[in-house]
Amino acid sequence: MSAPLESYLRTYRKRSGFSQDEVAFLLGSTSGAKVSRYEWLARQPTLPTVFAYEVIFRTPARDLFAGLYQKVEKETISRARLLARKLAQARARRTTPRKLAVLESLSSGLASPQLEQR
Amino acid sequence: MNPLPTEAKRVLAIDPTSKGFGFAVLEDPTVLIDWGLKRASGDRNVKSLEKAAELIERYQPEVLVVERTAAKGSRRCPRVRQLIEDLIALALDRRLRARRVSRRQVQRCLSKIGSATKRQIAVALVDRFPELEPHLPPVRKSWMSEDGRMGIFDAVAFGWASYESLRRERRALTLLSLETPLPHA
Repeated sequence: MSAPLESYLRTYRKRSGFSQDEVAFLLGSTSGAKVSRYEWLARQPTLPTVFAYEVIFRTPARDLFAGLYQKVEKETISRARLLARKLAQARARRTTPRKLAVLESLSSGLASPQLEQR
Repeated sequence: MNPLPTEAKRVLAIDPTSKGFGFAVLEDPTVLIDWGLKRASGDRNVKSLEKAAELIERYQPEVLVVERTAAKGSRRCPRVRQLIEDLIALALDRRLRARRVSRRQVQRCLSKIGSATKRQIAVALVDRFPELEPHLPPVRKSWMSEDGRMGIFDAVAFGWASYESLRRERRALTLLSLETPLPHA
């Protein structure tokens, strides 16, 4: 199995038939050069730009940046495990069980019961 | 828009043309990631290899697919035959698997829908991948040389056929393993 590409912006743009200049216009930018840099990973888009991409291609950011999302997810889960170990060793506070439940659900890839209630 | 699969085998298919090469990147027989033409001037083989190396770097494919030039009916000039061999060497150097697909295999894969000529194959591919429609060249007359954009369709067809042939091989292996009697304990 191949790991997903960091970004699928180029694929989605070509599928929709837009040129880089046209996407730049939709993003509120002046030239397609910036779009090219986003597509070739020479530059990371800002948060508003990521949202604009979501709107243009009607696709969530985690699919547009599938590889990057997987990388960040893996790193975050590994930090969550580390924090869970630290919390388990430290003196227990009233909020500790709640935190541990959230961290455990993160590690197992499930939605947190506490956060689901929001 | 169809979501893209995140866990699939990525294939880079390259079809050399007189001015460079056409390429296609697929992650599944139904998901086309990128496609296009790369122009090569000067020493066309050297430039083509450089551009193919860039594509390999960018897309990190698992398999490189090229035409099987040794197959019956393949009409490729010595330069293109050499380029295909160099591309395979490049793929092996980058630890990719190289797969050769013959035009016959492509025709066999698409024969279910009655596609035999290159034009019919290109039209059948446009049905599967509507995003290729703007690249479909006009119908070729007998006095016209082949449109360069046909390189894109040939590359997509090779990539697509490589999945199909892999699927058939797997099925044959499964059947073979079912037919082979298990040794008695």
